Amino acid sequence: MTGEKDTIVHIDNVTKRFGSVVAVDRLDMKIVAGEFVTFLGPSGCGKSTTLRMLGGFETPDEGRIVLDGADVTRQPPNRRDVNMVFQDYALFPHMTVGQNVAFGLELKGKSRAEIDRRTGELLEFLQLSGFRNRTPEQLSGGQRQRVALARALAPDPKLLLLDEPLGALDAKLRGQVQIELKDIQKRTGKTFFFVTHDQEEALTMSDRIVVMNAGRVEQAGTPEDLYFRPESRFVAEFIGETNLIEGTVRGIDRDAIVIDWNGMAVRGAAHGRQPAAGEAVTASLRLENVTCHPKKPTREDAIEGRVVNKLFKGSRTSLDIRIGEGRDTLIRAYMDAGNAASIDDDQLWISWEADRLAVLRD
Amino acid sequence: MAHADSETANLAKAAAPGGRPTFWGALLQNGAYQAISGTLFKTPRRQFVLLASLPLFWVFFANLGPIIEMFWIGFLDSYPPKVGYQPQFTLANWAAFFQDRVFIIPFFRTLAYSFTFTTITLLITYPVAYFLAKHVKRGHQLLFLLLLLIPFWVGEIVRTYAIMILLGNNGAVNLALKSLGLIERPIPFMYTGFSLGVGIIYLTALYMLLPLYSALEKIPDNYLEAAADLGAGAWTRFRRVTLPLSREGIASGCTLVFLISTGYYATPVLLGGPRSTVFAETIAGFFHVAGDQWPMGAAFSSIMLIATLALTGLFLKLMGRDGKGMMR
Amino acid sequence: MTRHTRILMSIIYWAFVAYLFVPLALMVTMGFKDSKFIGFPIRSWTFDWYIAVAQDTQVLAVFGYSMAIAISTTVLSLIIGTWMAAFLGPNTFRGKAIIFALACLPAVIPGIISAIALRIFARLIDIEPGMMAIILGHTVHNVPFVALVVMARLSTQPKSHIEAARDLGADSIVAFFRVTLPYLKPALIGAGIFCMLLSFDDFVRAFFLGGYQPTLPVLIFAKLRSGMSPEINAISTIVLIMTAILGLWAERSMRRLNKGS
Repeated sequence: MTGEKDTIVHIDNVTKRFGSVVAVDRLDMKIVAGEFVTFLGPSGCGKSTTLRMLGGFETPDEGRIVLDGADVTRQPPNRRDVNMVFQDYALFPHMTVGQNVAFGLELKGKSRAEIDRRTGELLEFLQLSGFRNRTPEQLSGGQRQRVALARALAPDPKLLLLDEPLGALDAKLRGQVQIELKDIQKRTGKTFFFVTHDQEEALTMSDRIVVMNAGRVEQAGTPEDLYFRPESRFVAEFIGETNLIEGTVRGIDRDAIVIDWNGMAVRGAAHGRQPAAGEAVTASLRLENVTCHPKKPTREDAIEGRVVNKLFKGSRTSLDIRIGEGRDTLIRAYMDAGNAASIDDDQLWISWEADRLAVLRD
Repeated sequence: MAHADSETANLAKAAAPGGRPTFWGALLQNGAYQAISGTLFKTPRRQFVLLASLPLFWVFFANLGPIIEMFWIGFLDSYPPKVGYQPQFTLANWAAFFQDRVFIIPFFRTLAYSFTFTTITLLITYPVAYFLAKHVKRGHQLLFLLLLLIPFWVGEIVRTYAIMILLGNNGAVNLALKSLGLIERPIPFMYTGFSLGVGIIYLTALYMLLPLYSALEKIPDNYLEAAADLGAGAWTRFRRVTLPLSREGIASGCTLVFLISTGYYATPVLLGGPRSTVFAETIAGFFHVAGDQWPMGAAFSSIMLIATLALTGLFLKLMGRDGKGMMR
Repeated sequence: MTRHTRILMSIIYWAFVAYLFVPLALMVTMGFKDSKFIGFPIRSWTFDWYIAVAQDTQVLAVFGYSMAIAISTTVLSLIIGTWMAAFLGPNTFRGKAIIFALACLPAVIPGIISAIALRIFARLIDIEPGMMAIILGHTVHNVPFVALVVMARLSTQPKSHIEAARDLGADSIVAFFRVTLPYLKPALIGAGIFCMLLSFDDFVRAFFLGGYQPTLPVLIFAKLRSGMSPEINAISTIVLIMTAILGLWAERSMRRLNKGS
């Protein structure tokens, strides 16, 4: 076993093409042992191809895949210590739950006694003990997903691949399974390589998220990093809902970047590349990072505006606010439903912390 | 399907309790096996070639080989080879076909019979298939279909014999007609084109029924409802919606029945007579009566194969391209 | 559709069922007639013809011979047909349409031509008329049916099943035997029984490819040519019952297959 902070997988400058389409473009990424890393992106972004290359189902055109120090680029799937939870679970319909879980152990040449013991342990660990002799057909979606997980964990892989395993579950169950999955990952200490297009899933479970677009990495970082400090327009738009602010850099004031936004001077911060004065930039400001004041606040950077549209969303209300000289600038913000009711004449003031307005690189 | 379990359980029993890996585990961990498997499946290309080997061999050796050999023998003046004689190339076998009415008449009679039988089969089975697909409840369709399937599992000879009993001079039909007082002397159904037709249709109807049924079953009911909604009467709905949409079923059913009905030998021998000799009997004669007429039999078989395949090819082309125009 | 056409079609359906069943029913009935002459009316009944069949060593030997041919044919057809399906089903390559057409060819060639071609071919590859030649002929004829049924089943197997097996340590061979083959099982049972019926019932190939020993259909044919007799009815009835049972079994297996996926 490797130590806590060791690199378990190195995707070394890997490129994969399908015909003229570049599915994965010079991807270079290290995955640390014990980490829950999620590859997030729209369909066709290259996340699944990356996963399939790690599993051995696709061979890279360029670059190497190093697993625990050994080059496995050209190893077939059956020769790698990597196991996978498939999108449709791919449980063998002619085998019982127990036989499914035992399959990998059996093929590894383990003795019957050891197979039985480990299968029993895993089923118990995943609360499936009572289902050992059932067939996959007789299970619910969530149970199937756990069986697929148990089967993939059974051979004790160095890396566990999960290919959108929650896609087939209904929305209610999905939230619960997310928590379970994260918990299982923590308790087993396994390295999880999770692929999804669902940003909520990625934010809930991951230690680290890698956002991919068109075969390249847009940004990699913790869920908080990606959410509050996006570096690119793609990341800002793909994850959550946001205000995109287009303006020109006036200059740098203390730690903040001052941007001219339709004549207003607004303060932000860059988390990637630092822009130069005079440059046209786009910045992202999350709806929940906009503070709304029904009365004029004391802080001087507060901007006065007029509510043009209110959308009640249960616990909070989303407001469309027109600001600026000619009321020609639109910004959207969240407000507590109770506070939203106390706005007089649709007039309010908004403000935000400078480091929450993320200046993007494109 | 506890086969994996029992298998491994047996192995475990044979060894010390729990001591040994299972069969497949042991196989995969076996060094010699690993080496062989590694070499055989080293690249996807190699794996593909391996997978292709037997099917390609079979297709060319067993499917195409006999046909090519048959064509070739048709050009020889003597076969099977005799000691001390080198067979010569000749076109005489092919020419013989066109020179003798004894050959040409059964040939065209076969085509005409098969064409007629195919048409009648289509007319009989279309309403049956339609009834099954559209009027029988989903849950009962299998049962109704099964009722039709059972007789078709019975072999050619047994079913031919059943028709002989039905149509014989002392057969059921004649008995029924006589007891109804409709006839005094039995009608000689047997050994005519009629008895042959009854037999051939009996044998081949399923090959028409199944494609028709699966084509009709696929037509959504709401197409017909939509047509009715637009003011189409029953006949128009059938002609403009059902018939064109079942065209594929008609095409494959007719093709199958035509091809298969030309190939029967025992049925024409047993049900047909001297005035309904078909080409299969002509061909068979070369292989039974005299020993040295294989080349002529081969040439005649080739002629029949070309004719039937060309006719069905033409038919399918008509159904496929101009079929739309035909049906309108 | 009006009520009249519905009634008319139901009448046609039942008339068609009658057309299929009445001849067979008559044939079965005639097997119990206490007279050597086939034909109506039947005045007295007997079970003697069945006893005669059970004591006829020739019939029993021929029955065994036909059975041996059917079983060998089925085994060979299943292996080659499944292999063919595994090759033609999932792979795409240039010329696939032609190979596929050639693979289906024996199923559509008129029986007599297929028999003649195989008779000549058997001579070429030096197989004497007899059991081996018949098995070859029946296998050639049956492989397309197996391949088509197995291909249909194979196309419903998710690709991920094989990938999962590979992922868990199986090579191509083990993945096939442990995952694909069990998945194909219902299709193989159905296709296998179908092969047995096709082989057991076949006349024209057995007739031209056979040696001195006849198969059951060839024996019935020979007996028929020398005259109808209730003994033939008894034999035919036994064959009929056997075929119906096997056919129903195959049908059940195939239906389960359709429901399963």
